Amino acid sequence: MFRHFLQVSRRQISSTVRRQLVNKVPDKQKLFQEANGMPVHLKGGVGDALLYRATMGLTVLGTGFVIYELVKAALPQKKD
Amino acid sequence: MAHQAHAYHMVDPSPWPLTGAIAALLMTSGLAIWFHFHSTTLMTLGLILLLLTMYQWWRDIIREGTFQGHHTPPVQKGLRYGMILFITSEVFFFLGFFWAFYHSSLAPTPELGGCWPPTGITPLDPFEVPLLNTAVLLASGVTVTWAHHSIMEGERKQAIQSLALTILLGFYFTALQAMEYYEAPFTIADGVYGSTFFVATGFHGLHVIIGSTFLAVCLLRQIQYHFTSEHHFGFEAAAWYWHFVDVVWLFLYVSIYWWGS
Repeated sequence: MFRHFLQVSRRQISSTVRRQLVNKVPDKQKLFQEANGMPVHLKGGVGDALLYRATMGLTVLGTGFVIYELVKAALPQKKD
Repeated sequence: MAHQAHAYHMVDPSPWPLTGAIAALLMTSGLAIWFHFHSTTLMTLGLILLLLTMYQWWRDIIREGTFQGHHTPPVQKGLRYGMILFITSEVFFFLGFFWAFYHSSLAPTPELGGCWPPTGITPLDPFEVPLLNTAVLLASGVTVTWAHHSIMEGERKQAIQSLALTILLGFYFTALQAMEYYEAPFTIADGVYGSTFFVATGFHGLHVIIGSTFLAVCLLRQIQYHFTSEHHFGFEAAAWYWHFVDVVWLFLYVSIYWWGS
C-alpha cells in the first residue's frame, strides 16, 4: 500500500496524472466560497441535494414508523 | 454584500441535528421493539440514519473549515475545548465500569467463593496476547506522534506512512482482541467476572474501532492536502482520542487482566 502511495506521489509533477493526487483544495475553496446563497450542506451540487432528500425521506418515514410501532405496542390487541 | 465584523462562526441552518435526533429516537425505540417483538427493522433504520447524519454533518464541518476558512483561531480554540470536554465525559463513562469491577473484585461475595477470580473462572494469562496488545497500542501512540511531527514539519510522505501504520496497528489490536474473545474460556454470562470483563473491554474495543475510523478519515484528508503544517486540528483531535483509548487500555490491562488474575 505504501509503495503505491510513494509511486503516485512521485509521479505528481509528470504530465500523466495517475489518480487524483493533484491538490484539489483550491478548487474546492472556490466552489464553497461562491456567493450563491446556498447553505453549506447543499453547496456541493446535485449529489448533496440527492443525499439530503434521501436522508430527510428516511427521517420522515422513520418518524411515522416509530409512532405507529409505539402506539401498536402501547395498545394491546384484545383477542376474542 | 454583508461581511461579519467578528472572528466567530455563525453556521448556516442545518438539518443534521434533527435527523440525528430522529436517528437516536429510532435506535432506542427500535431496541425496545427488538427486545419485545423480535423485529430489527426500526433499529436498523435508526442506524442507517445515524450513519447518514454523521457523514453529512462532519462533511459540512470539513467544508466550513478547510474550504470556507471559518475555523479562525478563536473558533479553533472552541473546537479544542469541545473535544477535551467530550473526552472527559468518556473518561467518566469508563470510570463507571472500573467502579463496578473494583466493587465486585475487592470484596468478593461468598457466592463467588470469597475469592477473585471467582471459583471456576480461568482468567486469561496477562503475559500472553494481552501483553502483545499493550505493546501494539503503545507502539501506535508512538506512530501517531510521529505522524503529528511529520505534518508539522511539512513531511507529506512520512505523515501518510506513519498515519497508515498507526491505523494498521489499531486493526491488529482489534483482530487480536476478536480472537481472544472467541478463544476465551469464559463468557459474558459467567457471573460478575464475565460481565465486568466483557462490558469494560467491549466498550474499549468499540472505542478502538471509533478511533481507528477517525484516524482513517484523517489519512484520507492528509492525502487530499487538507492539512497544513500550522492548521490540522482534525488530526490533533483524532490523536488526542487515540491517546485516550491507549490510556484506558493501560488501566484495563493493569486492573482487570493483571491484578484481576
